[in-house]
Amino acid sequence: MATGAGAYPEPVIPWLSKSRLRLVAVLVLLAAFYSASWHLAKVDPAKLLSGLPKMASWTGKAWPPAMDELPVLLQRTGETIAMAAIGTTAAALLALPLSVLAARNVTPSMAVYYPARWFLNALRGVDSFVFALLFVAAVGLGPFAGVLGIALHTWGSTAKLWAEAIENIPLGPLEGAAVTGASRLKVLAFALLPDVAPSMVSVGLFWWEFNVRASTVLGVVGAGGIGQELKNSMDLLLFPRLLTILVLILVTVTVIDQTSAWLRRRLE
Amino acid sequence: MAAAQTRIAATAVSDGAVISATGLTKLFPPDVTALAGVSLAVRPGEFVAVLGPSGAGKTTLFRCLTGLTPPDDGSVSIDGREIRRRHVFRGTRGDVALIFQQFNLIRRLTAIENVLVGRLARVATWRVLVRRFARADRQLALRCLDTVGLLDRAYTRADQLSGGQQQRVAIARALAQDATVILADEPVASLDPESAATVLECLRSAVAAGVAVVASLHQVEFARVYADRIVALRAGRIVEDAPAAQIDERTLELIYSKNGGAQA
Repeated sequence: MATGAGAYPEPVIPWLSKSRLRLVAVLVLLAAFYSASWHLAKVDPAKLLSGLPKMASWTGKAWPPAMDELPVLLQRTGETIAMAAIGTTAAALLALPLSVLAARNVTPSMAVYYPARWFLNALRGVDSFVFALLFVAAVGLGPFAGVLGIALHTWGSTAKLWAEAIENIPLGPLEGAAVTGASRLKVLAFALLPDVAPSMVSVGLFWWEFNVRASTVLGVVGAGGIGQELKNSMDLLLFPRLLTILVLILVTVTVIDQTSAWLRRRLE
Repeated sequence: MAAAQTRIAATAVSDGAVISATGLTKLFPPDVTALAGVSLAVRPGEFVAVLGPSGAGKTTLFRCLTGLTPPDDGSVSIDGREIRRRHVFRGTRGDVALIFQQFNLIRRLTAIENVLVGRLARVATWRVLVRRFARADRQLALRCLDTVGLLDRAYTRADQLSGGQQQRVAIARALAQDATVILADEPVASLDPESAATVLECLRSAVAAGVAVVASLHQVEFARVYADRIVALRAGRIVEDAPAAQIDERTLELIYSKNGGAQA
């Protein structure tokens, strides 16, 4: 091909262009951010190196896992699953009306929509761990505090995801049902629910699965379940017992993850 | 143009109309006049086809007739009562049924359940919540499906039906609703000619039962065969309002030709 006079013109970018300067500025800012974070987080690889042999020796001491308390530990695991199940279900029931109010396309009015969104964001912003901490102080030690903590955080999270599922629904079928003169409640129950039910159930299962994982640590703040035993064993340096607990958690979480994933695939 | 307007005024004031529009005007600022003083009256058992090129104001006319878009001027009355703007969820009174180009059935429900949507306004709330309809309502829904020739597909999910079948389910829903007026914006625009004919025949049988049908159509031939009367819109004005049988080449010229707008 000919070059020179016949060449197609291309834009000329000066060496010190605006976009180059911006890239340099971004890189400098990122470097500053990470160096500040490194210091704030007190990262010290030397400490990790000296700590590793300690952890290795624990692993040695942990074998064989302690089986004598298995019945108690299984009951605690059951407690953890139950906390997640009750907490998630309560959250789902509470989320159902809120998700309608917080969905832009079906909300009765924007004056309800915004407060509903703020409320859900507030619930979502506080982790179930923090809620559980508060409830342990209010209702005492035990799994019930965990249930309440899970329920409040999951309420916000579930309702927000459900509201988004509702917002993605084509409005046509709802319009088609609404123009028959039926009330809003009837239209939502009859026309909207069948459309969003699969994604709602899928979101609900996801949160149950997530909460089983989350509630394994709720015991650390005294909110019952297997986490409580985890903390006790750690405090008393009972490594064989600790190993049993970790294996139990791993097995439970894996089984529930797989079951939930399988159920959600079936809903597609 | 003067002659046309006299004729339009004459129909607009005619009594016995189930749905009538008077002087409907709708502007979309800055410079679009979707409707400029449209008046129209439709009697029970009358099938009115609305014709006109794209952008003539057909969809705006339908949205004003249903109250989904408030007109800037003019009014719409149904059974002599003026309608006000309604939010989609406040619904219409049940006597107007809408048929949409995209059918708007609830995909995951069966045909009969979609027809039962037409009964929602009259059914007790608890029945809707538990999805258990009275036998009389179920029988009525089946009868409506029979009218549109889909009795054998009653328990098929809506998203398993063809486009033409879905549109017939929508008509059955309108029948189940006991509507006195069916407004259909482009009911056959996304259908093949054969399905379109079946759908229009279903609308025709609704007309035979005394329902007033107003449908916008793209194909003049369909309008000639199935409608009683043709109303032609051009640039937001009615340029023709005449019995379907009287539509000839001159009228089509008036509606669709490039310089017809200047004439009108």
